[in-house]
Amino acid sequence: MARVVVDPITRIEGHLRIEAVVENGVITDAYSAGTMVRGLEIILKGRDPRDAWAFCERVCGVCTTVHALASVRAVEDALGIKVPPTAELIRNIMETTQYIQDHVIHFYQLQALDWVDVVNALKADPKKTAELAQSFSKWPDNTPAYFAGVQDKVKKLAATGLGIFANGYWGHPAYKLPPEANLLAVAHYLDALSWQKEIIKIHAVFGGKNPHPNYLVGGVPCSIDTNEVSAINSDRLNLVAGLINKADEFINQVYIPDVLAIASFYKDWTKYGGGLTNYLSYGEFPTRGYNQPEFFKIPRGVVLNRDLSTVHPVNPRDSEEIKEYIAHSWYSYADGDKVGLQPWKGETKLNYTGPKPPFETLEGFEKYSFLKTPRWKENAMEVGPLSRMIVGYAAGRSDVKEAVGATLSKLNVPVDALYSTLGRIAGRALDAELAMSYLKEFFSDLMVRVKNNDVSTFNGERWDPKSWPADAEGVGMVEAPRGALAHWIKIHNGAIENYQLVVPTTWNGSPRDARGQRSSFEAALIGNPVANLEEPLEILRTIHSFDPCMACAVH
Amino acid sequence: MSTPVIGAAAAKPVANELPADYKRIYVWEFPVRLFHWVTALSIAMLCVTGFLIGHPLHAFYAAEAYQQYWFGWMRFVHFASAFVLVAVSLVRLYWAFRGNQYASWRNFIPLTGAQWKSIWELITVEVLQIKKYGRYHVGHNAMAAFSYFILFLAFLFQTVTGLALYSNMSDARLTHVFNWVVPLMGGDANVRFWHHAVLWIFVLFIIVHVYLVFYDDYVEGGGEMSAMVSGWKFKRDKRED
Amino acid sequence: MGQTIWQSMQQKGYSRREFLQFCSAAAVIAGLDKSSVGQVVSAFETQSRPAVVWMHFQECTCCSESFIRASHPTVIDVLFDVISLNYTETLMAASGFQAEKSLSDTIRDNKGKYIVLVEGSVPTAEDGVYCMIGGKSGESILQTVTADAAAVIAWGSCASNGCVQGAKPNPTSATPIHKLVDKPVINVPGCPPIADVMMGVVTHLLVLGQMPELDDIGRPKEFYGRRVHDTCYRRPNYDAGLFVEAWDDENARKGYCLYKMGCRGPVTYNACSVVKWNEGTSYPIQSGHGCIGCSEAGFWDNEPFYQHLPSFPGFGIESTADTIGATVGLVTLAGVAAHAVLTNVRKKSVIEEEHQDDQKE
Ligand code: HEM
Ligand code: HEM
Ligand code: NFV
Ligand code: SF4
Ligand code: SF4
Ligand code: F3S
Ligand SMILES: [Mg+2]
Repeated sequence: MARVVVDPITRIEGHLRIEAVVENGVITDAYSAGTMVRGLEIILKGRDPRDAWAFCERVCGVCTTVHALASVRAVEDALGIKVPPTAELIRNIMETTQYIQDHVIHFYQLQALDWVDVVNALKADPKKTAELAQSFSKWPDNTPAYFAGVQDKVKKLAATGLGIFANGYWGHPAYKLPPEANLLAVAHYLDALSWQKEIIKIHAVFGGKNPHPNYLVGGVPCSIDTNEVSAINSDRLNLVAGLINKADEFINQVYIPDVLAIASFYKDWTKYGGGLTNYLSYGEFPTRGYNQPEFFKIPRGVVLNRDLSTVHPVNPRDSEEIKEYIAHSWYSYADGDKVGLQPWKGETKLNYTGPKPPFETLEGFEKYSFLKTPRWKENAMEVGPLSRMIVGYAAGRSDVKEAVGATLSKLNVPVDALYSTLGRIAGRALDAELAMSYLKEFFSDLMVRVKNNDVSTFNGERWDPKSWPADAEGVGMVEAPRGALAHWIKIHNGAIENYQLVVPTTWNGSPRDARGQRSSFEAALIGNPVANLEEPLEILRTIHSFDPCMACAVH
Repeated sequence: MSTPVIGAAAAKPVANELPADYKRIYVWEFPVRLFHWVTALSIAMLCVTGFLIGHPLHAFYAAEAYQQYWFGWMRFVHFASAFVLVAVSLVRLYWAFRGNQYASWRNFIPLTGAQWKSIWELITVEVLQIKKYGRYHVGHNAMAAFSYFILFLAFLFQTVTGLALYSNMSDARLTHVFNWVVPLMGGDANVRFWHHAVLWIFVLFIIVHVYLVFYDDYVEGGGEMSAMVSGWKFKRDKRED
Repeated sequence: MGQTIWQSMQQKGYSRREFLQFCSAAAVIAGLDKSSVGQVVSAFETQSRPAVVWMHFQECTCCSESFIRASHPTVIDVLFDVISLNYTETLMAASGFQAEKSLSDTIRDNKGKYIVLVEGSVPTAEDGVYCMIGGKSGESILQTVTADAAAVIAWGSCASNGCVQGAKPNPTSATPIHKLVDKPVINVPGCPPIADVMMGVVTHLLVLGQMPELDDIGRPKEFYGRRVHDTCYRRPNYDAGLFVEAWDDENARKGYCLYKMGCRGPVTYNACSVVKWNEGTSYPIQSGHGCIGCSEAGFWDNEPFYQHLPSFPGFGIESTADTIGATVGLVTLAGVAAHAVLTNVRKKSVIEEEHQDDQKE
């Protein structure tokens, strides 16, 4: 029996430590620890609710915008503000853009190196690489000269120290791609890096900058006027249209084909990393307002025990549904560490009880993470793109069913294959594909509104704090790229009285709860092979499949 | 109460002359009077323009940007008044060492026990009016002097913060002397905030000061109001100074 | 290692003429005038790709995200041709102790020659337990890593001034880097800093092999010497007194000045209105929202954001200096009026005495 510690887990956002117990080459137990905290829930108290989005947005610069969106929704929910439909469309455009950019970066920059051997790519034949690439995509850069250039670039880098690729687990037996596939993926690693900065300009158009574009309680801050140079006008809309077209090409000719190609070499990874059997989605992309989830593009609901015949409703206001526990987290609650608190009543009091740094292990410490542990009706839930696909599938959404079905048949695997490390990666690709189609739809809807000059982007009825009730509470739910995100706010006399965030990676990466139930990361690691204790590549594969974001998780 | 002492000027009363027990004293020399009125005017301008800089009017919207510059003018007048005030204050500062006893810096800074005693007496006699009589003062009374001292500090603060803000939009060497202020106060936003907040000290001063000038004139009849124009005050010799 | 930029360009088949063109482009990026191109040329000819490590502490990783949005040079250009980035938790292939090894090898092999880039603040409360990596406190890692560094760059508002986690009440004692290491730190504030500004600073340092000129608080004057307001395209509207009065009103559509909506441009030093964001696509004001002052120390506590000035400390979030000043002013006026009445009652006798005295003469 060995305890394998991986800290820092790299190619994620933030500070995550995994301690896994390995017996005979298989993981039998695991501990997931978030080791950085900032205390935003404490800092938010007493501030102007209209400013909260800016604070919350800084929870994360990787999934930037989603916390801002959750925050403005929470405030609008508390104060009964309805945003104009045009503003809703712009928010949807911002968020679908975020999905697409985030998923692509995750696939290439954060996760690919677990499956792609960069050094091995040097052995590839560029001509054969081009042939391989052309066999499943008509991307114009799929030429021998292009791949030769990339190979050259990497060779030179290798000759002068590998830089960011140094000390990877290169040559590990778990790498299964042929050199040509490795080279293809490395080339697209670079392409993705160049492409992501383009698509995200959509954020700059509507929000002024990225990371951290601007939001506004009651709408969006940009105005639309096709007869003014300073507003969103034809030029700006053309820019966005062009970016959307390019993104569409990249998703459908590079990202999706690459995922399928790489996945086809790693089908054994449909056996590992399944983890929990419960899936939660808050639903996303309102088309008739935040309070009509039945008209969301992605449905809201829970699937329990992988039972696709029932989608359970979710109510974040119910005092018995969503609660956070701290039995194994470095916090304390006024009523003791065993209770769970509904977020409106949530407390954030730091209480570190772990070993004093420097330390070797967290073994033997009751509390071992700065993440709280959220539960839905006492159940541990997996959240994220895979959950969205599963809930969408169970809810009978045709676009989801079609996309999932096509992928399963291309890979020639059963539905159960979804419940795995590889399934999670595929689920994310499908999620991007769907988001791409929604983005196009939202943009054409926006163009219709512009043509009809129906372009109000702000509802100011409740802008002035004098128009607010003395007490109000609201919840802002968002399906962020990494899953179910919600902010709970309590407003008293115009100021924030309590503010609690329960974040996707909090669901997935939290320590076990008071009853000992594991959350997603820990559950998914169990049963994973570890071929070489010194090079625990398999741990990275499963953990990365969740796309952890620790700054989000702890905040 | 002692019998009034009759001054020299009262020996031969003439129709247009002063009543018998008044003495005419030259209190405010020209530099002080000049300083006073230039200060009054520029501080009034600074307060008005400063307030408008903080709260621009919702007006003038008919015109296009190139047709008008009113906010720019507002700032120009603010800066111009600021520099006038700085200049005239330097003159006054010089005069605080060079001028007559009433102009001396000693009046303004309450360093002596007598000054504090006098402030207390003024509070009881003039503000709370629990006591009926106090002493008569030829120059400033100690409390007025103290209020000018506060005003002086506030003005110093405005100058330092104002020039610090200004230094960032100009390349003039003079203003760059104040560069240290911004980091010390934690950024331009804070400097600006306090520069704005201290505006209200001036407003309060003006209310109280103008009232007191009228009050003194009314109660004591010493011609305070005209004194700041002519320089002369009138003193009754019936009470001890 | 050890290869100069000129050598690497030669290997790629660039001609000397192209190399000189590249140098003058680099000089322009770094904000140098043409005359200093000679210097740039020799810097590229003689310097090898220096080792660089990128540390991550209390951050949201938006600085890393911003960095990869750069357009000139792009992050690929920089990673392959300008620097050897041997440690960055966000992008590096190695994890766990292999990652730690990359870091310690770099420090050992490049004593006094490597550059440290820091993202995030360091919490100093409770022995540093609020940010731990590999079981070590962020603070101890920072000290080890910066001890032999040639230069330290603090990325973003977190590393240069504590940013959002340093906002009141700063529960973890989030501390900016320059307060913890005793060597000069280049502060590149912003939440995040603009990608091309980050590249500009890196290029400035590497191209000239010298510190860019810094202001009193360690910011490169090249990008932080002017206020957003000084170069804002809406400035003519400000001077003309034309303001947005409400979100999405007619004036907002016309692009009037956002001053009355709380724009912090007049108190914020940054290059947004000139360099702009995302390859010059826009900046906050161009897209209709005021500047929130994200590159200024303590900007989070200058709340509320939608008011020209922050609220008065200690009087609740809606009280401004003016509401308080006006209240005190009114109270004073009332006091003065009351005093006038009191005077006429209590001092009546004194005043009458004076009048009688006068009449006796
Ligand atoms: C009686 C003295 C003064 C008063 C009451 C006063 C008042 C004000 C006020 C209320 C503001 C507006 C602040 C805001 O809301 O943002 C302001 C701005 C300003 N004041 Fe003064 N001020 C005084 C003296 C000075 C002096 C001596 C200077 C020196 C140059 C100065 C320079 C400035 C500057 C540079 C600004 C910012 C203007 C802008 O950026 O548009 N002020 N002042
Ligand atoms: C903005 C308005 C004003 C300001 C800032 C101001 C300021 C001052 C200052 C600084 C002094 C001390 C002078 C020195 O010793 O150098 C002073 C004294 C005086 N001011 Fe003003 N003043 C203002 C308006 C007025 C007005 C309107 C009057 C008369 C109607 C007035 C009458 C006097 C008199 C009589 C004194 C001498 C008071 C004494 O005996 O202590 N002032 N004022
Ligand atoms: N977990 C998480 Fe996020 C996302 N997606 C937020 O809500 O990454 Ni930073
Ligand atoms: S400075 Fe801002 S953008 Fe950069 S890590 Fe900190 S919070 Fe994120
Ligand atoms: S919008 Fe902001 S930065 Fe631009 S001129 Fe107005 S106040 Fe200045
Ligand atoms: S908010 Fe930040 S991005 Fe620029 S315009 Fe202001 S400094
Ligand atoms: Mg929370």
